[in-house]
Amino acid sequence: MASPMLLKRLLVLPPALRRSFWSSPSRNQQALPEIYDVVCVGGGPAGLSFVSALKVHPATRHLKIALIDSQQLKAARGQDETLFSNRCSSLTPSSVRFLRNIGAWNHIDESRTAPYHVMDVWDGVSGSKIHFNPADDQSFGIADALAMLVPGNRFSGGRKPYTTDASGEIIATMCENTNLTTALLERLRGGDAAKLTTMDSTKVDSIELGPTPESEEALDLSLWPVVTTSQGQIAARLLVGADGANSPVRQFADIPSPGWDYNQHGVVATLDVDQSFSQHDLRTAYQRFLPTGPIALLPLPNKKASLVWSNTVQNASKLKQLAPDAFVAMVNAAFRLLPADIDYMLEHTDPSQLVSEVSWRISNTTASETGMPSTLPQAIGVQNNTAASFPLKMRHASTYTGHRVALVGDAAHTMHPLAGQGLNLGLADAEALAKKIVYGVEHGMDIGSCWCLDGYNSERWAANNAMLGVVDKLQKLYGVSSGPVVWGRTLGLEIVNRLGPLKGALMGAAAGSR
Amino acid sequence: MANPMISRLTALPSGLRVFALRRFSPSILTSTFAPNSQHLAGRRHHGTESSSPNAASSSVNQTEVSHFNTLASEWWDPHGSSRLLHLMNPLRHDFIRQCLRQDASHDPSKKIRYMDIGCGGGIFAESAARLSNTASVTGIDPTPQVFAVAKRHQRTDPYLLEKNPETGEPRLKYLNTSIEGLVDHPKETNFDIISLFEVIEHIQRPSPFLQACLQHLKPGGWLIGSTMARTNTSWFTTKFVAEEVLKMVPRGTHDWNQYIQPEELRSWARTQPDLAASSGTGWHVMGVVYVPGLGWREINGSETWGNYFFAMQKRI
Repeated sequence: MASPMLLKRLLVLPPALRRSFWSSPSRNQQALPEIYDVVCVGGGPAGLSFVSALKVHPATRHLKIALIDSQQLKAARGQDETLFSNRCSSLTPSSVRFLRNIGAWNHIDESRTAPYHVMDVWDGVSGSKIHFNPADDQSFGIADALAMLVPGNRFSGGRKPYTTDASGEIIATMCENTNLTTALLERLRGGDAAKLTTMDSTKVDSIELGPTPESEEALDLSLWPVVTTSQGQIAARLLVGADGANSPVRQFADIPSPGWDYNQHGVVATLDVDQSFSQHDLRTAYQRFLPTGPIALLPLPNKKASLVWSNTVQNASKLKQLAPDAFVAMVNAAFRLLPADIDYMLEHTDPSQLVSEVSWRISNTTASETGMPSTLPQAIGVQNNTAASFPLKMRHASTYTGHRVALVGDAAHTMHPLAGQGLNLGLADAEALAKKIVYGVEHGMDIGSCWCLDGYNSERWAANNAMLGVVDKLQKLYGVSSGPVVWGRTLGLEIVNRLGPLKGALMGAAAGSR
Repeated sequence: MANPMISRLTALPSGLRVFALRRFSPSILTSTFAPNSQHLAGRRHHGTESSSPNAASSSVNQTEVSHFNTLASEWWDPHGSSRLLHLMNPLRHDFIRQCLRQDASHDPSKKIRYMDIGCGGGIFAESAARLSNTASVTGIDPTPQVFAVAKRHQRTDPYLLEKNPETGEPRLKYLNTSIEGLVDHPKETNFDIISLFEVIEHIQRPSPFLQACLQHLKPGGWLIGSTMARTNTSWFTTKFVAEEVLKMVPRGTHDWNQYIQPEELRSWARTQPDLAASSGTGWHVMGVVYVPGLGWREINGSETWGNYFFAMQKRI
């Protein structure tokens, strides 16, 4: 109707103006938002894997999907084999299986990943050891092993039997988060994946319910979420919040997310170590529980390792300010010295003296005192600009679903990194939600309705809650430096379990001592 | 019969009323059929003869139509009285698919035209209209309130308001009519699938009713439905528990004597010249049981004592 000239002039205007210009005279009604089947806010691993799972499945590939992220979604995998990102995750075998199923694992640069087969976990106070090797018992995963550390736990989630292929003995695979997101983006952009509307570098300005209908006959979007961004308004049959711990989608849906802060920070860094993890047949990951928080050394390729050290807020900020050689010395100290020595040095030793002080103290501490495993590699350097920290907290949304809303990943749950489970739970959420949507589409359900989403909530909430509980209790149990809790830890889990009524008292003491 | 019943219903609290109306509406459907001496009809000896359908529907019109707001929210309320029907709905599609898979004459590339009789608030009709291999769905229900509920809920999904781009037909349309009223809609015939979910147990004379349904089916098309068997179990659950103990359903909503055994239905189908029910592939039945905590499950053999699906194919 409009002349090409007019159209051209309209296109010069900013989109918001253009729309109001265009719609008001041409039609005698308000402009309706563009309608999508799924709008996913957040392009992290959980959001990307969820969208990929839908886009590769024959039943859901035709769905009209928009992916919104405030950052630019681009392939950003590290190329230099001597440099590794400090943001790494332990992918469990079931996460890897999911990524294989959706065709994303082919796009992972496997030369930058490191599967590990054994976990050495020891108590920093008592020195008692748990050497965990899944080859001993095929039915246990990392989560079950950690759950065994908590006396009296009833954890039963995540017990997926291992496959019998070559990966049968793998506890988990270390993988940089950028490697994973790049693989997922490549999966979405290539091959047989159906097209998707990506709105990256796009901030969500607001999420509101749709307009009240103009007449008794007109389309009624008044219970549909409408997302406003700089690119305009879109309405979502299903709005998925993969938008992180401060999820705007969760806030829109008015879903509370109770929890607590641990008053700890996680310090991460990429380290150089003196021996390659792969020189042995089986790679080992190491974790020591210290009263200030657990410290973990996780294998990466090429004599590199990923550090995750949970510590008090004050200690974390001190650690980040140390010179590289002093930082490395403190990491070695944290794995090798008695907790009292570690605390003393962080508080009282002059940073310039740290290196010599640590080496002197290490030479005067025997491994039998601390329970240190003999195979533990020594840190010899830290990659530039990789020492960073983030606050640690526990949050769990009271439900994962609402009318036309579902939460996945960190938007639904935030947990302590000591079990390396956060990202795995997010991937499991993505897989479960995508599966419910496939079933919903195949049976003609409105995929935003509770009939489609209820099963997702009941399946994932309970499983995640069990994991969150175990991890939270471990954090509290091993955050105690003296007294009956430590004796209990030392006595061993079987005995603690048999103490029956005492168990509750011990757990109470653990919780109260914080 | 319908008149006083409806005014009594409107005096009930809305939750009960919805349940009652939903249950009650199909019986209005039946009232038009003159007694017919098919053997099923002959066996049904009880029940007063109905007044004329027009009187019934006009009386419905005069009673409060203004309550459909409440009705709509109740019908689609996840915790409302229709919850069990919502939960059963996916199984209906599984059953239909199973029938079509075993039907050599069915061409999977051809899109399916459905008619849902006694569509209620549109639970099945909406879901059928969303399937990718559906050409169109026509839902009919003679009760104006129920028709309004269905229309109102359809508006909340833009997809269901669209026309099918391949045929130009609306994806989903509702007609406020009984089966005999379809004479005013000459295009509403030749369907691939006609569905009767939880309808025939309310029908006084199923034989003429089913025959009327068959007339709208294309040759080779399927008449598919669900109902419950007439057994001690079903008497206990639907008559005694639902109506007497829990009082979820107004007393007299179900007429247990009207329940049909799958074998009775099959022997009736065998006598019908239009049906291919004597062949192994022209007749299917599947028993389902609601297991609390697990949902509806297919249980082999349960068709003789519980809820069951049936399917009969029209001769090609």
